[in-house]
Amino acid sequence: MLIHETARTAWRSLAQNRLRTALTALGMIIGVTAVIAVLAIGEGAKASVEGRIRALGSNLLTVRPERAQGAVRSARVETLVRADADAIAELDGVEGVSPESTGTAQVKYREANLSSSIQGVTADFLPLRSLDVASGIGFSPDDDLGRARVAILGANVAYELFGERSAIGERIQIAGNGFTVVGVLGAKGDVGFMSPDDMVLVPLGTHEGVLFGQSYLGAITVKVRSEGESEDVRERIGELLRLRHRLRADAPDDFEIRSQTEMLATMGAITGTFTALLGSVAAVSLLVGGIGIMNIMLVSVRERTREIGVRMAVGARRRDILLQFLVEAVVVSIFGGLVGIFLGWLAAFAIARFGGWETIIPTYAYGLALGVSIAIGIVFGVGPARRASTLDPVEALRQE
Amino acid sequence: MSLAHEPTTGATHTPVVIEELRKIYHADRAELAVRAVDGISFRIERGESVAIVGPSGCGKSTLLHVLGCLDRPTSGRYFLEGRDVAQLDEDDRARARNRHIGFVFQSFNLLPRMDAVENVELPLLYAGQRDTRARALRALERVGLADRAHHRPNELSGGQKQRVAIARALVTEPSIVLGDEPTGALDSRTGREVMELLGRLHAEGTTIVLVTHDLSVARSQDRVIRMRDGKIVGDGPAAAEIEAFVQENAGDFA
Repeated sequence: MLIHETARTAWRSLAQNRLRTALTALGMIIGVTAVIAVLAIGEGAKASVEGRIRALGSNLLTVRPERAQGAVRSARVETLVRADADAIAELDGVEGVSPESTGTAQVKYREANLSSSIQGVTADFLPLRSLDVASGIGFSPDDDLGRARVAILGANVAYELFGERSAIGERIQIAGNGFTVVGVLGAKGDVGFMSPDDMVLVPLGTHEGVLFGQSYLGAITVKVRSEGESEDVRERIGELLRLRHRLRADAPDDFEIRSQTEMLATMGAITGTFTALLGSVAAVSLLVGGIGIMNIMLVSVRERTREIGVRMAVGARRRDILLQFLVEAVVVSIFGGLVGIFLGWLAAFAIARFGGWETIIPTYAYGLALGVSIAIGIVFGVGPARRASTLDPVEALRQE
Repeated sequence: MSLAHEPTTGATHTPVVIEELRKIYHADRAELAVRAVDGISFRIERGESVAIVGPSGCGKSTLLHVLGCLDRPTSGRYFLEGRDVAQLDEDDRARARNRHIGFVFQSFNLLPRMDAVENVELPLLYAGQRDTRARALRALERVGLADRAHHRPNELSGGQKQRVAIARALVTEPSIVLGDEPTGALDSRTGREVMELLGRLHAEGTTIVLVTHDLSVARSQDRVIRMRDGKIVGDGPAAAEIEAFVQENAGDFA
């Protein structure tokens, strides 16, 4: 029998029983939808991480304090100080240094109130991070020295507090202290951890002296003159800090130096792992979908035993029967796959639109989804189809 | 396909020649072997119409399955159109059924989801032929059902269903049409109509072999083969064999 006749027969038998076909395909539909949505979220997250690497430039190093091994467990690690930053600034190959301190505090403007990450930074922070104010001005070295009560708001913070109105010159409260907003950062649009959009910047001196009362740094960002010198500079900083912190030769570092690209690559890897994990959960539902198809095909073979006998009596070979049932299974799974692709696309769109996550459906996902659907149809259809094709025609005709 | 050929001189073969045909079933673990067909030989010439009769369990259904290439004999030879089909593999037997055999079943066995013409078309599709629709319509015309071509089986009467089944059996122009109690599921009037149709087809040259225990069906054939316990106990002109059959079974009915 010609293949298009076989396909037509399969289609008719499926169309004959629409509800059952739809339910059979449901497992595939859910599985493919989930796979497409997960891939779209993963790909979107990857793109946003990559975007941030590009925005940061690849010649930034971050020095962070690291708890010395065996030290008392304390909430804050207090090893990096401003003098360390000043010393690093003197090293060869270092173009700029930005000492930073981190804290969290309540930020209020009239009735508006939110908890935000408060970053203490110097005048060098913005240029070093390739950030700029969208309105107002940045900090001056005097703000730092004079512990000026001025603040620069991230775009999201500004919007939450002021809406569409201008924040420049307004008085806000940070942990109960009055501050004047001097600048608002341009929106970076990226999401997640440590986005500048969600920060409030204050002069480092103010951060230490007025708000949090501590003189230890959260991080020192170092800008290296050129990317090629990055490794040398890293070593020099290491030596310098060990010397300054008077570490013995056998003591481990009490700090950690990482490049920004490394950090983001780590984040990218975490994102990738999450995507793979969620993807495999979604893939399990594809497996369940396949088992659903197999189940219904087995029922169908049993129900249609007599039909199989009649077809054999009029000249169907074993392979004609095999092909007929296999094509039926594959048609169901392709149908499920196509619907799933459409729903997955819809889900990715909805997540981006209403969830605020960037989603990108990679082109290979369409091919993958369709290919996997066909493969599942074949893998789970071949058993029932074999069973149909190996029936004894005399027995099959006897079936009621 | 390597086939032994029946010794023959003519250009055309005798449609059916069987020699010493046996079909023996072995029940599970039992020593007992059931000799359903036990050393049968006969030939059927082109254009003959034959009824095989006998009490239930006499092996006539098994014989029909072997004749129809649905089942394989345990031993013996079966030449269908001159080729020994007794030992053919599955695919070749499927091909033999498709080309040389037309089945008419007691319970019609039409596919319920297809209309009449599609049912008739089915053997042609498996034969991989073209122009299947036109040929199927012609076959329906031969059985007088051209106007029911697009009715599904559940929209047809019993007699009409059996006529569709006969059209399906005829559409490939097979060597023989095999009927398994073709009137068994019909009332006597429609049964007679179906037999009239088969008679007409026989008159037009179709070779027909029927298995039946309806003597009026057997009587309308040229020749009757009587079976008992897997063996042939009589083979001759219908009238004489039916007479013998009635004699033989007189005690059973008394």
